[in-house]
Amino acid sequence: MFNLLPLKHRATSGGEGLAAAHIALEFSGLTELIRNTYHYRELIWALALKELKVRYKRSVLGFLWALLNPALMMGVLTIVFSTILRFGLPHYAIFLLSVLLPWTFFSQSLSYSVESIVGNGDLIKKVSVPKLVFPIAAVVSNSINLFLSLIPMLLLVLLMRHPLYATWLYLPVPMAALIIFTLGVSFFFAAANVYYRDISHILQVVLSAWFYFTPIIYALDFIPANRQWIFKLNPIIYVINGFRLAIYYGQLPRWSSVAASFVCAFVALGIGLAVFRKYQDDFVFYV
Amino acid sequence: MSSPQSFLNSPAVKLDHVTQRFRVIQERPDTLRELFSKFLRHEVSYHDFDAVSDLSLQVPHGQMLGLIGRNGSGKSTLLKIIAGVYRPTSGRVQVRGTLAPLIELGAGFHQELTGRENIMLNGLLMGCSREQMNAREQRIIDFAEIDEFIDTPIKQYSSGMQTRLAFAVATEVDPDILILDEILAVGDAAFQQKCFARIENFRRAGKTILFVSHNMNQITEYCDRVIMLDRGKIVIDGSAAEVVETYKHLTVPELATAG
Repeated sequence: MFNLLPLKHRATSGGEGLAAAHIALEFSGLTELIRNTYHYRELIWALALKELKVRYKRSVLGFLWALLNPALMMGVLTIVFSTILRFGLPHYAIFLLSVLLPWTFFSQSLSYSVESIVGNGDLIKKVSVPKLVFPIAAVVSNSINLFLSLIPMLLLVLLMRHPLYATWLYLPVPMAALIIFTLGVSFFFAAANVYYRDISHILQVVLSAWFYFTPIIYALDFIPANRQWIFKLNPIIYVINGFRLAIYYGQLPRWSSVAASFVCAFVALGIGLAVFRKYQDDFVFYV
Repeated sequence: MSSPQSFLNSPAVKLDHVTQRFRVIQERPDTLRELFSKFLRHEVSYHDFDAVSDLSLQVPHGQMLGLIGRNGSGKSTLLKIIAGVYRPTSGRVQVRGTLAPLIELGAGFHQELTGRENIMLNGLLMGCSREQMNAREQRIIDFAEIDEFIDTPIKQYSSGMQTRLAFAVATEVDPDILILDEILAVGDAAFQQKCFARIENFRRAGKTILFVSHNMNQITEYCDRVIMLDRGKIVIDGSAAEVVETYKHLTVPELATAG
């Protein structure tokens, strides 16, 4: 088999007075990239909905699965942790699920977006469209799932007679940090997977290691104090910290923790965008 | 664009010494393992070739330009550069006016979605807004003559129906520059006629059309100007009659040495 690779680019394309700014002939500048992608916001939304629509097509319950899936998963975990495995924590299921939901969003978004460029290869070879729309659409469709999963979460809190704290109203803040963080990491893996398809397999291993390294099934307090600093190097703990505090403890995180979560989120977004932008014009030759 | 006059005076498409170079690697390492083993054995063999080679071209507004040439002569690569799918290795590309950046009809179609959903998705892919597509939807359905199937998933369409729908979407979005890459080979005679009637309307409206076809009758009948490509270079550039006549008299070995 022959494969085509481009040589290093030296071209300057585009030009003054370009009437159709959305042709994506602009190859330079982060603002152009963002503006171009923003022009396609309706496409992103349509792709995200298509993703969900295709996923639930041909099932009798259809879109209801988006609600039932997390509900059933929560049901199973609740039974396991309130009857079989009993920890010293009251309402352990809520303790666990309050961060498992954002984690599931994160890992699902990554699993989708890592394949988003390669999977849309046929399209990228034929239509000039900002490539960023594909990982964004993957994250958006999983965001819809995250929002929907809060409904069974709420029901579970009520069913288990766990207090329904006013701090639920704070959830949009950690959610914003989580989505920004996830976008950044998604851009990075989506781009990397174009060059080496091993990345999508490596990602699965990384994710499961990352899962245990993150205080999801346990709390950071369970770790000996002199080892906690290692865990604090994990950027996602700041991002998901707010979820557990707001849902399980009814507390707000400290300012420093909120600040750390947004710093991590924007650093991830910056790195992801930079890597994606550097390589995006070559994707078409590798997909 | 400062005024309509200056818009029309400058060419719709302008290519300056554009080269698209590909590196042909036999069995490019697709996985890290392959990369390592190749690296250890110093086994990365390749050669470069220019799919489009130092090509300059100006297409004025309102021209219908035909592109002919053998398979692999660089026609599709050239169109992909103009559409913005490829960023050229070197040279300058200027495109004035909106173009449907769609190199193949129906490229954005998703088989599980209905005709109606695909109209929207395809329009959004070409950079149109939801509102614009809603306004155009009925005209697209009418032109494609698929009224009764519009809410059926398109995997149940015949290939002719899909082509009709795709052509209707691509032309109804009303671009200033239209790229047609051998799309009219399918579809029955009646629909082909309808397509050419629409292409005529485009020409009369002063739109620019880039037309690739292996059908020399279509080329002679519709194109104002024809370029013939060979090995990524323009070998003949002239009126349709002239170029097609030359093309017909060239035998394959002559073509190979013409560049």
